[in-house]
Amino acid sequence: MPELDPLCPPSAPFFGFMGAAAALIFANLGAAYGTAKSGVGISSMGVLKPDLVMKSIIPVIMAGVLGIYGLIIAVIIGNGVTPSEGGKPSYSLFQGFAHLSGGLACGLSGLAAGIAIGIVGDAGVRASAHQPKLYVGMVLILIFAEALGLYGLIVGLILTSKPGSCSE
Amino acid sequence: EAEHSGASGAMAAIVASEVVAEELFFGWGELLNGISPYAWAFIGTGLAIGLSVLGAAWGIFITGSSLVGAAIKAPRIRSKNLISVIFCEAVAIYGVIVAIILQTHLEQVIKTTEVTPMMKYAGYAIFWSGMTAGLGNLSCGVCVGVCGSGCALADAQDGNLFVKILVIEIFASALGIFAIIVAIIMSTKANFE
Repeated sequence: MPELDPLCPPSAPFFGFMGAAAALIFANLGAAYGTAKSGVGISSMGVLKPDLVMKSIIPVIMAGVLGIYGLIIAVIIGNGVTPSEGGKPSYSLFQGFAHLSGGLACGLSGLAAGIAIGIVGDAGVRASAHQPKLYVGMVLILIFAEALGLYGLIVGLILTSKPGSCSE
Repeated sequence: EAEHSGASGAMAAIVASEVVAEELFFGWGELLNGISPYAWAFIGTGLAIGLSVLGAAWGIFITGSSLVGAAIKAPRIRSKNLISVIFCEAVAIYGVIVAIILQTHLEQVIKTTEVTPMMKYAGYAIFWSGMTAGLGNLSCGVCVGVCGSGCALADAQDGNLFVKILVIEIFASALGIFAIIVAIIMSTKANFE
């Protein structure tokens, strides 16, 4: 029976991978909601004003960017959870929990931002089809919503970069 | 009487495997150790394909029902808009790819009951890899379905809108790609000895 390091138990990768999964799953959920909700709005207003459809794809692109934020954090965590080399563990429980928190921070923020982008995008594209002056206003609101996802990415990056160490 | 002592002997063995230094340590580790790494891995593999197919199916019924409804008055749309159904099907294919990649880690026959930290790592990696692929593809499938539904309805009104709304579906199917990228990255270092 190999000696178990209390700082680097074998259960630590469970939490690390849970963080990577949470980052991607929730960010994807937010991006999917944003894309679907705005997509319905764009399809509806496209019947009224076909020329504005390409301009109105902005909410869809911004929702897609949220998915990329989740992907970034998930890849960073996925590469950071290292297995034990030659019987010596290298991934500490501290890092595991840090990765979990980073993944949740990025993922849930992406979910929130995606919901906001979806609802604002849907209402915004329909309104800007009727009143073209509203387009800039819609983009400004979408930028504020996207910033929420960016905050999650920043905090996620800070949390996932915390180093841990195993006892020598 | 014999069964009771056998059960308590097994419990003592489980507890003893995580006894650290002189103290009896009870935390997440003991909770997770109760489940075999092979159980984690197989559940992950199953969920990868199961949830991806659920997402694809959900998307197909959303887009398919809109397609046949809109095609009543505009039958010209029916062949072009099958591409939305194919985009949803692609999500299921992503799930198949991930499940097949994950199951290649599980091809050895179990020879010993000893559970090493590397086996636990592999079990957790494959479980979360499968969950990522499955739940990521679930959202993607529903999203592609909703966008495809909008595409069919818009196309029925005005044929020029089809290609423009298809761009939205392409953004939507990128979400499935993100899911399988992360799933494959997480599972590469998993290695059951």
